[in-house]
Amino acid sequence: MSESADDRTTRRQFLKGVGGVAATGAVATLALPTLALHPEPEVATERQYAMVIDVRRCIGCHSCTVACKVEHDVPTGVNRSWVEYTEKGVFPDVSRSFLPRLCNHCSVPQCVSVCPTGATYKRPEDGIVVIDSGVCIGCKYCILACPYDARFLNPHTHFADKCDFCIHRVAQGVQPACVETCIGGARLFGDISDHDSTLSRLVANNPVTVLRREMGTVPNVYYIGADYADESDNGRPGVHKVTVKTHRPHTERR
Amino acid sequence: MVEELTWGMPVILYLFLAGAGAGAVTVSASVELRGGGFGAARHAVARYGALIGPLPVILGTFLIIFELGAPFRVLNLFKVVNLSPMSVGTWLLGVFIVLCLAYAATFLLPDRLTWNRRARTLLAWVCLPFGIGVAVYTGVLLGAMPAQPFWNSPILALLFLFSALSAGVAFIVLALTLFPSRHAGADAASHGNSSYLLTTADSVLLAGELGIIFLFIMFAHLTIGSTKEAVQVILGGGELALLFWGVVVLIGILLPFIVELILVGPRLLYGRPYRAVYLADLLLPMAVLVGGFFLRYVVVVAGQITGPVGL
Repeated sequence: MSESADDRTTRRQFLKGVGGVAATGAVATLALPTLALHPEPEVATERQYAMVIDVRRCIGCHSCTVACKVEHDVPTGVNRSWVEYTEKGVFPDVSRSFLPRLCNHCSVPQCVSVCPTGATYKRPEDGIVVIDSGVCIGCKYCILACPYDARFLNPHTHFADKCDFCIHRVAQGVQPACVETCIGGARLFGDISDHDSTLSRLVANNPVTVLRREMGTVPNVYYIGADYADESDNGRPGVHKVTVKTHRPHTERR
Repeated sequence: MVEELTWGMPVILYLFLAGAGAGAVTVSASVELRGGGFGAARHAVARYGALIGPLPVILGTFLIIFELGAPFRVLNLFKVVNLSPMSVGTWLLGVFIVLCLAYAATFLLPDRLTWNRRARTLLAWVCLPFGIGVAVYTGVLLGAMPAQPFWNSPILALLFLFSALSAGVAFIVLALTLFPSRHAGADAASHGNSSYLLTTADSVLLAGELGIIFLFIMFAHLTIGSTKEAVQVILGGGELALLFWGVVVLIGILLPFIVELILVGPRLLYGRPYRAVYLADLLLPMAVLVGGFFLRYVVVVAGQITGPVGL
């Protein structure tokens, strides 16, 4: 067969190839630590701004939704902040509860892990997860990676957008717009890394919950008295007629 | 349905085209390096994959760039190296496109140049891991998000790799059938031999795909909660069930697999002569390619119309 000559060439080339692969591997191993340093989100930041939402004091008036829209000139059809209504039960045993939603400024933010350009990052000085719209390419990876559906593609700028805890106000020592406008006093904003802050004491003194804890994102928005009932609970024994209204263009909670 | 998705048709097409193109180049490089039983037809077969492969990869890349909110900022991707699957994938894809174009060029330059033959072998060696990397990363890209339970499976990347290689073989068989080589020594026997080897290889890849799909669904079914809920969308009564079982599994994998076994079985098992069946070499790759596209379609859509259950 004429193949034998070919085979010998192949084997020699194979050994050369193995050498090449080994060299590449060695280089890659040396380079790895610097690669890994960049994207791994740190759980601990210098300071961590957080929010507590006492759902018992929320009346579902959407003031926060509107204040946010005005503050950030958020285009129609998308929201940085919104309020969901949950209705549950059969007359006369019924309840309606509200769930104000916003970015959770997670301590292990999935959006940051997947961002290919480093446009979204967690600020080490205050733990706010921000988007650098000068770097974002609008790939929408973060929108899919966020377990809270807190992100959207801004229809005007075509960059990823979301709540930034009113960074421009907070920097001036002013409360975020949604907190300032809340007529029920349901929202409290503060530094959770400061153990003496009102917010830290509120979190310590009350049964608090976070959304989708099992995702391991370590959210920094806490809820008191939130009802997490969902349409998916309708199959459970004793749970009847749960409906959730998101008040967003996509009416189903995602 | 696709219009409302965050990642829509351009992404679906990209995942398919980049995977299939990378698969074709990988298969070509493998044939070029190993030779296998291809004999004198080795370079001719490798040539098809090398020349076809870069086209879908580049087309898919263009599609994905214009899916971005800010397409003209695409270079921002090359300013950072991080462990985001998209960043890793961008670098893999960028390097792969350069490599596979250079590899294709070595088949266009005359063979009498010694340096060209050496370059071809060298490029085949590097195209091989990079091609596999591009095919695998498309699955890792989707699998990296705990917020998307349908995608969040380590086996998705392997499924995409097998599908990509199978689509790569399909591209080569299709080209071999539609544009038969006219070089010296390209007789019917050699063509039949190439068809036999490629068809056999494809049947192995399709069997692998079937196995992976079985494992994917079995584990999703055996778990509880979000993943189990999510996988219902491709099971009985689900929105994508018909497309998945009818097009992806039946037309794209099972039927080609069975026909291929019938074709190659006699030679594989009993050493009887194999003759290339024109219609089979034409229709089977088409079915595999259709299945490969709809696999990406079903997976990408299913991931986005499902989500974590409860808050």
